[in-house]
Parts: sequence; C-alpha cells; structure tokens
Amino acid sequence: MVFKPHHRTVGQKGFHRRTFLRGIAGFGSAVAIAKLTGCTPSTSEGGSESGGEPLKLGLIAAITGPSALSGESIKRGLEVAIDEINANGGVMGGRPIELVIRDDESTPARGVAAARELIEREQVAAIFGGLDSPVSLAMLPVLHELETPYMGVWAAATGITRNDFDPNYAFRVSANDNIVDSFLIRYAKEETGASKVGLVLINNPWGESNQVGFEEWAPEYDVEIVGVERFNDGDTDISAQLGRLQSSGAETLLLVANAAPGAQMMRSLERLAWDVPVVSHWGISGGRFPELAGEETARKVTFVQTYSFFGEQSPVGERVLAALQEKYDLAGPADILAPVGTANAYDAMHLMALALDTAESVEGVVLREAFYNLPAYEGLIKTYEQPFTPDNHDALNEDDYILVQWDGDQIVPVAS
Amino acid sequence: MKGRLIGGLIVFALAIAATLIAPNTYYLFVLGMVAVTTIVSVGLNILAGLSGQISIGHAGFFAIGAYTGSLLMLRAEWHFGLAAVMAAIAAAGMGVALSGPALQVSGPYLAMVTIAFGIIVERVLIEWVGLTGGFGGLSGIPNPTFLGLQPALRESVLLAIVLAFLSVVSFALLKRHAWGKAFRAVRDDAIAAAAVGLNPFYVKVMAFALSAALTGLAGVFFAVVIGFVSPDSFTFNRSVLFLLAVILGGLGTAEGAFIGACILVILPEFLHDFTDYQLLVFGLLLLLALRLAPDGIASLFSRWSAPAPAVRPLAVPPDLPSFVAENKQRSPLVINNVGIQFGGIKAVDGVSLTVQPGTIAAVIGPNGAGKTTLLNLISGFYRPRSGSIQLDKYSLNRLSSRQITDLGISRTFQATRLFNTLSVLDNLRVALVGKRLGLVLKALLGIGIAAEPEPALLEVLSFVGYRGDVHTVAANLPFVDRRLVEIARALVTRPQILLLDEPAAGLSKEDKRLLAKLIRRIASSGLKVILIEHDMELVMEISDQVLVMDSGKAIALGSPTQVKQDPKVLAAYLGVSSAEAELSRETIAAQASVLSVEKLTTGYDTLQVLSDLSLTVNQGELVTVIGANGAGKSTLLKSLVNSLPIWSGEVTFLGQPLLTIPAHKMAASGLVLVPEGRQVIKELDVIDNLRLGGFHRQDAHIDKDLEQMLDRFPRLRERRRQKAGLLSGGEQQMLAIARGLMAKPRLLLLDEPSLGLAPQLVSSLYATLASLRDEGMTILLVDQMAALALEIADRAYLLETGQIVRSGDARDWRNDPEISQVYLGGSVSQ
Amino acid sequence: MWPQLILSGMAIGSMYGLVALGFQITYAVSNTMNLSQGAFVMVGAVICYCLNIAWGVPAIAAVPITLALCAALGLVIERWIVRPFARKGSQSWLLSTIALGIIAENVAMLTFGKEVRGYPSPLAETTVSILNFGVFPLEIVIPVVGLATAVGLWLLFNRTLWGKAFRAASENPMTAQILGIPVTRLIALSFGLSTALAGLAGMLIAPIANVSATMGTLLGVKAFATAIIGGLSNPWGVMVAGVLYGVVESIAAGMLGGSYREIIGFLVVIAVLAVRPNGLFGRTNIKKV
Repeated sequence: MVFKPHHRTVGQKGFHRRTFLRGIAGFGSAVAIAKLTGCTPSTSEGGSESGGEPLKLGLIAAITGPSALSGESIKRGLEVAIDEINANGGVMGGRPIELVIRDDESTPARGVAAARELIEREQVAAIFGGLDSPVSLAMLPVLHELETPYMGVWAAATGITRNDFDPNYAFRVSANDNIVDSFLIRYAKEETGASKVGLVLINNPWGESNQVGFEEWAPEYDVEIVGVERFNDGDTDISAQLGRLQSSGAETLLLVANAAPGAQMMRSLERLAWDVPVVSHWGISGGRFPELAGEETARKVTFVQTYSFFGEQSPVGERVLAALQEKYDLAGPADILAPVGTANAYDAMHLMALALDTAESVEGVVLREAFYNLPAYEGLIKTYEQPFTPDNHDALNEDDYILVQWDGDQIVPVAS
Repeated sequence: MKGRLIGGLIVFALAIAATLIAPNTYYLFVLGMVAVTTIVSVGLNILAGLSGQISIGHAGFFAIGAYTGSLLMLRAEWHFGLAAVMAAIAAAGMGVALSGPALQVSGPYLAMVTIAFGIIVERVLIEWVGLTGGFGGLSGIPNPTFLGLQPALRESVLLAIVLAFLSVVSFALLKRHAWGKAFRAVRDDAIAAAAVGLNPFYVKVMAFALSAALTGLAGVFFAVVIGFVSPDSFTFNRSVLFLLAVILGGLGTAEGAFIGACILVILPEFLHDFTDYQLLVFGLLLLLALRLAPDGIASLFSRWSAPAPAVRPLAVPPDLPSFVAENKQRSPLVINNVGIQFGGIKAVDGVSLTVQPGTIAAVIGPNGAGKTTLLNLISGFYRPRSGSIQLDKYSLNRLSSRQITDLGISRTFQATRLFNTLSVLDNLRVALVGKRLGLVLKALLGIGIAAEPEPALLEVLSFVGYRGDVHTVAANLPFVDRRLVEIARALVTRPQILLLDEPAAGLSKEDKRLLAKLIRRIASSGLKVILIEHDMELVMEISDQVLVMDSGKAIALGSPTQVKQDPKVLAAYLGVSSAEAELSRETIAAQASVLSVEKLTTGYDTLQVLSDLSLTVNQGELVTVIGANGAGKSTLLKSLVNSLPIWSGEVTFLGQPLLTIPAHKMAASGLVLVPEGRQVIKELDVIDNLRLGGFHRQDAHIDKDLEQMLDRFPRLRERRRQKAGLLSGGEQQMLAIARGLMAKPRLLLLDEPSLGLAPQLVSSLYATLASLRDEGMTILLVDQMAALALEIADRAYLLETGQIVRSGDARDWRNDPEISQVYLGGSVSQ
Repeated sequence: MWPQLILSGMAIGSMYGLVALGFQITYAVSNTMNLSQGAFVMVGAVICYCLNIAWGVPAIAAVPITLALCAALGLVIERWIVRPFARKGSQSWLLSTIALGIIAENVAMLTFGKEVRGYPSPLAETTVSILNFGVFPLEIVIPVVGLATAVGLWLLFNRTLWGKAFRAASENPMTAQILGIPVTRLIALSFGLSTALAGLAGMLIAPIANVSATMGTLLGVKAFATAIIGGLSNPWGVMVAGVLYGVVESIAAGMLGGSYREIIGFLVVIAVLAVRPNGLFGRTNIKKV
C-alpha cells in the first residue's frame, strides 16, 4: 500500500528542466574556466630557477580507490625530487620538470587509456608507474608500441621488468616480488628455524604473484609450504584459514597484505592464541598498522623495506625528510605513509633526470639507451652505480632490502 | 522520424570521419569506448527503458560477453565474428536464466536480484583463475582481421562505431514495432496485457535476453578495443554508471543511449584534474537528473521534433467494424453453479447464468456482492473452486486468462486499464498482434512496422465513438475517451463474448446514452455481452436478462421488469425497515449549524464526482445522504475529512473553514469518520484499536471512556484481546463505531456502515445508531440501505450522479415509491 | 572449527540484521527505503571517530550525538530525496538513494580521507576464550546489542501507543490518518530511526572492522539482501535472516575460501527469491483486479 498524502501538483517540469540545464552549463563552464586558468591542483610546476620549456613526465597511479594512499606517497616522492632538480636548473640544460598525473583507479583499462593520453596528447617523455602490478603489466604493450620508457616505483610483479619485449622499455626502482620472496623464505628458514611455512595471502594479483615466487623458492631452501590461504580486504575474521594452517603444522607464517587486511589477520591470530612468527612483505607499511592491529600485536611482525625514515639518516635522508615534513606539513617520520613509495619514487625521479641529461633527448629510443649509461648517483636508498643493464632492469636487489618491525608507531630495523 | 534519421546519419558520418583522421590512439580509444558504451546503453534501455525492469547488474552481462569472446579468440582461435556472436548468445542465455527469479519480483526485490547477479559474476571472474586468469585477466586480445587487412585499433573502432549506429537505429525500429509496444504494454499493465493475448512472462524474458545479448556483444568490442579484460572493469559501480548513462540520456529513447554514453565516457576526460571528485560528480548528476530531468536530455530535443500529424478516426462510423462483424459464433456461455472463496469468505457462491449470443446479460447488486469476482472467474483471472463454465465444447475452468482470450472472451476493467504510455492507436495495435508477436529479431530489423494506421483499427475506434487524435498518448485522454478506447481494444481481439465492468461509471448522462446504444449495437451483431453496472436506468433499458447478486449469491434472475419488482431485490438494495422497535423519533427543534457545505466540487484525478453540492448538518441531528452506487456518497465523506482534496467550494465546521485543517488533525477538531469497509487495524487487538481511536486526546479520561465502550458493546468486551482482523463483520463494525466514539466527536460521519452485514446485524447496528442519536450525538450517515437510514434520520438528502436532487424531512420520504425508483432505474422528478 | 565459524557468523550477521531493520522499518510504513544505509554505517563510525578519537569528546557524549546526527540526516533524506518521488508514485527513490550513497562515500573520502583508521576500544584488545576459541569481547557485545535492539523495537511496536500507531500506519495509512495519526511525520521518523540504527551498527563494528570511507558499501548491499530475503514485512524475520546470512557466509568462507563468501551468499539470495518472491517471512498479497 503506497501512502500518498495528497498534494496539489503544479506543472513545474519545464521549470525544473531549465534549472537542470542551467546547472549543467554552469558546472561545465566552471570546469572549463578552471582548466584554462590553470588552477588545477595536481600538476606540479617546478621552481623559478629554470626557465626553459617544461619537460613533462607522467605518473599513472591509484589516486582514488582503496590504494589511493600509494598514489599519494609516490607523488610526494616524485615532487620532492622534482623540487630539488628544478631548483638546480632542471634537466637538459635548463628545462624544468613538470609532472602530469592520471588516476588509474587500480584498473588496467584506465591505466592503458591514461598511458595513451599522456604519451600522445600530453607528450610525456616517460611514465612512472603505481602500486598495482596488473595495471603496469597491462600498460607494457602500449608503452612498447609508443616507445616510451616506463619507470616502476612500487608494483613488484616480476613480469614487469622481466618481460618478453625486446627492446625492453620497462625499468624499476623497487622490489621485485620474486627476489623478495626468496629473501623472506631464507629469513624464515635461517632466522626463525622453520622448515614448514604457511602462506597467508591477500586475494588480489599481488598475492597471486607472490604465491608464484614463494612456490619457486621454497624448494631451493628446503622449506615446505604446508598451506596457502587467501583472504579478502574487508574480512574481519580469518581465523578459519589460520586454523587450517595451524593444523597443517606451519611453523612460520609468510604474510602478503596491506596494512588494513594485515591488521585483521594479526587480530585473527590473537583469537587462535597461536604464538607463531610472522614474516611479511612490505604491504603492512602502507598504513597505520600499529593503530589498526594494536601496538602489541603489531610488534610481532617482521617485514621487509627498501628504506626506513626512522632512526639514523644519511645526509640525503635528512634532506628528503626535511623537505617532506615542510612541504606536506608532517610532524615526523611516523606521518610518512607508505614510505616505500616515497623513497623509491624519489630515487627513481633522480635517476630519470640523470638519464634525460645523459640522453640529451626526449626521444624514447635514445632515452632508453641512456639508462644503461648513468653516472654514479648517491641516492636515498643507496648509491647507484650502473643500476640498469640490458640483463637487469631492476635497480634494487636483495642486498638493498632491510628487515624491520614496528615499535610503537615507529619502524625500526630488526637486530639480526 | 526523417529528421532524426538524418541527424543520426550526420553524427555517424562525423564519428567515422573522426576515426579515420584520429591523430593518435588516444582519440581512437575514446571513440571506441563511446561506441561500446552506446551499445551497452541501448541494451540496458531495452530492459529498463522499454520493459521497465531496472537492472543494477548489467556489468555482469558485459563481463560475460567480454570474457566469452576473449576466451574464444585467445584459446580456441576463433574468428572475431564468430566469437562475437557466441558471446552474445552466452550473455543472452545468462539473461534468460536470470529472468527466472527476476520475473516474479519487482521494485527493490528486482534490484536486489540484479545486484546479486552482478557481484556474483565479478567474484566468479576473480576466483575461476584457470579459466579467466583471475585478477590478471586475459590479455593480448587480438584485433579482428578485416578483409585480410592487418588488424589494428582503428579498424576495431570503426567496426564498433558501425555497430553502435546500427544498434541505435535498431532500437528506434524496435520501439515502433509491435514488440517494442508489447514491452511497454507489459510494463504499463501486465494484467491488461494478458487480457489482450500477450504472455507477460514471455515478453519480459525476451527483454532480458535481448538486452543481455546486446550488452554481451558490447563486451566483446570492449575487450578488443582495450586489448585485455580484467575483473576490475566489471564492478557494481560500473553497473550503476551504465544506468546513470541511460537515465541521463533519456530512458527509453534511442538518442538517449548515445547521449548518455558520450557523457559517461567524455566527462571523466574533462575531469582529469579532479579525479577525486569524479564519482561524486556522477552521483550528483544522477540525483539531479532523477529529480529535475527524469526524462533525460533526449527529451529536450523532442520539443524540436514535430509531432505526428493528428489522425482522427473515420468521420462516419461504420455500422459494424470488421472485427465485430466477423464473429458469428452461435453457442451460448453456460455458467453453472460456480463458486470461489478467499480465506473463509465465499466471494461467489453457486451462481448460474446462461447467455445467448446476441443478448446482453447485466449483473447487478450492492457493493461487495461478488460481481467483479464473477467476471474474473469467466475471464480466467481466477479459477473456480466449484461449478463449471462452458462455452461451446470448451470447459473454461482450467484455462488461463490468455487461453480464454484466445477462445474469444474479451473484457474491460473496473478501473480502466489502458497502456498509459502508448498512444490510442498503439493500445489497439498491441491487441491486434496479441500473441502473434513473431521473432524479436524481425523487430530489430524493422520488419513488420506499420507505416499508416490500420483502417480496421480506425473503423473500430469510430465505431465506439472516439473522435480524438489516434496518436494521443493514453495517459492524456479525457475520462470518457479512456472508457471508449478500452472497449475498442477489447473488440480488436475479435471476441465472441464481451465482459464490461462498470463501463458507465463516472460518465455524463449524454455519454451514458451513447454508451448504451453502443453496447446494444455490439450485442446485436451476435456477441454475447455481460455487463456489470450500477446505473439502473441503463441496465434496465438495454439488458435482456438481469442477474442480481448479494453477498456472493444470486438472489434473482430474470427480465428487467421482473427483477425490478422482485421484493428480494428491493430488500437487498434498500434494506427493510426494522421489524422490531420503532427507531424513528419526533421532529426536533432546529439547532445551530455544525457543518455547512457550499457548492462542493471534487473528484479523482480527471474524473469529477461531485458538482456544486451543498448541505448542512445541525447540532443534535441525524442527517442521511442516500443515493445509488456511484452517486458519490463516499467521495463526499472523504472530502469532508480532507482525505481527498477539494476542487472548489466551501466547507465550514463549527464555524471554522475546514480546508485549513490537515487530515490528521481532523479527529482532534471533532470531525470523526467511520470509514467505508470498517477499516479496523487488523493487526492490533480490540483494545488497541479503541485506544488508537483516542490517539489525539490528551485528557485523562481515555481509560474510563474505553471501559464505557466495552460496556456499550459487550461483544467487544468478550473479544477485547483478539486481533481485530479475526472479528466477524458485525463485530468489526461495532469496533469501528466504538473507535470513532473514542475520539469524542462533535460530528460523527458514517460511511456505508451496513455494507456486507447480514440483515439481523444491520438492524442491531441501526438500533445502536438510533440510541446514539437519542443521546444527542450529531451524525451524518451515508448508506445504501435507504429504508433504515430514512427511518432513523431527521433530515435526508438524495444524491444522484454527484448532485443533490432532493432534500427535506426524512419522515416525508419513508415509503415514497420515488426513492426506490432512483435505486432501480428512473430518475427523480424535481 | 564449526562453533567458531558459527559464532563469528552470528556476530557479523546480527550487524547485517541491525542495518537491515532500517530497511524494513521504512518499507513497512511507506513502501520506500534508503539504499544508502551502508553509507550511514560508515557515517556513524566516522562521526563517532571524529568526536571521540580525534576531538576527545568522551564516549558517553559522542555516542548519543552521533546517533542524533544520523537520525537528523535520515529526516533530511526522507524529506528531500525520497518523498518527492514517492509522492508521484515513482520508483526513482531507489536510484536516488543509491546515488546518495555514492555521494556520501565520496564526500567522506574527501573529508575523512582515504586512509583506514583504527578505533581503539577496550572491548577489542584482547580475546577471551570461549569453547576453546578466542573471541573479542566486542564480538559478544555486538549480537547482544543486536538482540537488545530487536527486543527494544519489539517493545516499542507492541507496548507503546506510538508504536501501535506506527503499525496502524503501516497497515492502513488512510485510516490511520483519519484517526489522527500523523502518517507523514511517522514516515519521516522511520527514516530517522533507520539511519540511527545504521549509525549504531557502524559504531559497534568500528573497533573490529576499522574506520574507512568505504567500510559500509558492501555491508550495505548485504544488509539490503538480508532485508529482502527476510521479507520486508516482519522485523523478526529480518533479524533472523541477517543472522542466517552471516552464518552461511562464514561457513562458505571457512569451508571454501575467502571469496566464496560473496558468491555463495548472493547465490543464496537469488535462490531464496526464486522460490519465495516475497522473502522467507514475507506476506503474499492476493491480487485484486
């Protein structure tokens, strides 16, 4: 029964339609004006030191959606580096770098579209990638078709840099899942003494990619994988899956998940009251893990990083930390969310600038070659000497990884 | 239409040109996405726009098409064309499967089914890694080879644009085809659609299948344009956005699909710098569109397109249109002892009637007698529990309403059921095609679209007396034309039996006269006509036999003259005076006016019921308003308590203008209505019902008054903890009156309290009313049972077709033969 | 494993039921509902977080303020987003409330941020052992609150005059109005009550599920499913359906793996509707012509 309190209706359709049209027109012109006068927040312009024509570089990352934090952290690392470069006169004899950002919405389709747009319309010289491996993988054919270099700063899937394209335009300053998996299994075997491990993986492409890596390296270290359990972002109770691993005899758990789901997994571990070592990929650094899991629980996880802004910093580190704090109004290292992205992006941007200076050209073919001939660069994560070779497009390797854990809301190296 | 086609061709040519000269793949990509989204929008428009089934899970069909096509091309190395067709078929199959549960539900339930479907598809894509590649999806999807040319993005986009154009054109053709009208007919009124021979289930399933097929086809093109598919592209949000595109563009319009697709694809390209706000903008757009421009942007253009030239039916109506003339069945309709019950109540109990061809049988009786139920039994809307209905050699008992329509039984409905969004002509066309819709694919190709109005249809329209433009949309028809068109539509199915349910209700005298002639003419051609009517004059004038029903039973059957004089019939209509104690009282002195009504005019929607009605009720009086069914008695009371808005006139209650009091404050002001049909709150028990009667009261005497009510009506005290729905009719009536009294009324309005009560209960009811009157209560009583009402009333008004035709002292009216004439035919001399 | 699966299923299921009650209450009296209920779960959690954690307002005040704000928003929604359509007999309130949910989520993302924040609570820090299995005290509190709410609503509708007036308005709005019951106002109040219920659910699950702008979306869809399969006519039916749905999901996840939660859950929804189009406990109406 529908209750319709009676109401004298006056014909107002025409009026409403006009209002609607006016609203659309108004909105449309507002957008147009905003674009024309250039008050657009996400393209960053360099400092005033350099006076040449801006050189555009693109960033395609998750700006909205569940991984939006990653996009923000990458952007910050790039922007701090850009500020430094532009303050020092820019690249290629005085051209300031301009960053053009597009949202991939963590969706490969959008990433591909954005790549086409950035390269063909905005004429960027190279593209920095984001967190999602599937997006990066999907963009590869387009990038190779249009002969534009790709610089990964987060997505760790092995297939991004180790691909079938020749010439290979994909470079990366980030971890490589395959290498990380080897690293973690070795740690599990040697430091926690486990010969049976259980995998607890987030149910997404990153989890999938690491499963492949773990399964490849486990036999190499004489470690048996007794169970592979999946769980979803948003699940609040994973005890069923963990219970299965417990009954299968897992002695150490290998975790691959971001901060929020990782926290849920640790809480579920609490329910089982199972005191088992947990070794994790870097996902749990991308968020306020101690706040979400509880500080005591957070302490129990050992995980991998490429860089930590906590503790003793190198001069580069101090400089970058200061710049971040000032530019983004942060109180301290604890406010740097997803530091992995920021650190990787910072070094990647500097390497890119060096490549541009070496190549003295924005042509993709030339720029690509230049990556093999970079001068030494004292970066944030390490000092880079010949970071890229035709056989290796990953600037970081196992020696550059560090193992850390949470202490309160700080990330500290593990005493090993 | 020509203009639209030219416009469309121009846009198409521009799109092709743009594709050919596109400087880089980015533009190609955007064009391709617009084309793909247009195809999806057309698909969704068929389901949501034409068939009225809103789906919030279309990304599921999109995904099925995309993945099926991709898998066939990648793993089985099928050619693109074959893969695309297979994808469309797979999606269509899924659409048919989903329509199973979806058909039985509507509104939010349907939304849930479609949402669930969309989410399930997305999750299965993620989980079934072996087949779908899980999150990574399938990549490296090849472009279609075209005439031996190297596959490239440009060719795929060209193909997509061609297909998009074709689908928009197809949609326009579909809309003009009988299938398109069938979709809308079933959406507008599934019951009427079944009554003219359509199978609503079949039509709805077709809509699903067609919509899914198109969306699946779009999915394959999507896969080819992007080069890979992954579950990310097929989320719940995507389904919502598809729907947004369709609504923004214009639900149910061909151009709307394209416009919506453009907005959906191109707007984000402008909002690159505001990505954070994108979804917010879309959400706002959807909200604004629904609120301010529910017909979408395409409707703005419709103002520019010239309306179709008016076509009127023939100036000189034929004597008999071909539909009617063709029918020469000779066998009678034999109804024998049929019965049906709902719950414990026998709606129809042992009724028999035989109708010969060429005759009119009228079924009359007080409200709730079971007349419409009898009609429903004949037309197959209900199946009889007992008895039989026989036509020629067919027994109609077990047949569905469509099968019965096939046999040649047509009907109209009490509340006219036209297909409101279709034109008059299209209403008839749907009936003309009926179940012979043919293949829906023919509709997409435009085969079988009638260019000109069919002469036979024009004939039947002029035959029934319709003089307006046949292209008028049914919703805009004046009231009497709605009736006529419904009758015309019923004739189009070439019936041998025509069932008319209150066709004259609400018509003017002149229109009724014409209607009577029409019905007579229809019958004289050899049809059997069964007619339910309240207008006695009409009934007695044209009927060959009259069946009188009361409380489900047949109480008289015979010629009009016989029935008019049958005392049982009189009693059923007018009631009998109380055999026991004298209920009337002496004339009382005139008091101050409590209620004063002046020139009240009102009605429902376009139907005017009351005209310039004036009456007064004075303090302490019992005034009654009597009149035949349909005279407007209930409408009067409803408008007094502001349940029905008044069109014009003034009503004053206790010195205050009544219109200023909102409906829910009426009771507090002292004007209390005991509504028609008792309307007790069935869920609550007797005590709660009584308490609610005093809902607005703040004083402390409520409990005392409640006890008093229980004293006054001992049966209620016995049953005070029982749910009101379980009480008998008489007890419910007592409860309704007690509830009204709990509100401490200054004026008590009673709407047909005797309705559906057994005779002895009616007398005790009236005894109660009489004692209330004697206690000093002011009462305005409306009842069909004129005899008793006049007995207890001080003054009376006689209402006939919305106007007071007589007023005066009730005592003078008792036993006045003129009153019974009004009820049983013949008007009152002034 | 079974007792633990069932226990956690009951906990989350009673949340579904609590939010689903919101759907049922408004539908009963007005044949419309607010499909952005999920967003209101988030709004409740976010407002309480801002008050309690970010600005330090003590919980004893933050909770009622949050409830009041959620209720107020519900009134606004009824007046401006639902009523204009219902009045015309249009079904567009369905889509406009969905649109509203999208807007709310995105506004939250822009204001609260895209981060997931934790809501510390003593009830969710350490586990207690029940049947050899660790349970956070909050996971016991949640179904208790759910049950208490259901009982409270039952008392409201069966023991108070206003509650009975509400039922009268649900059954027969025309007559209720004649009796002096302000039906329009009751409809508005029902919306306020339903959003308050959603907000309450949000506050309850925040310590376990963590607070984020998107925390409510999927939960809202599932609560909607719960309301539908419960049959929109009966509050107890909805609550039972919620708990059942939670348990089915939990078992599916435990036996088959995490993602089967939604697949099995929604398949069950479609299956139920295929067999009983008015929901498990809904009433079928006799068609009248």
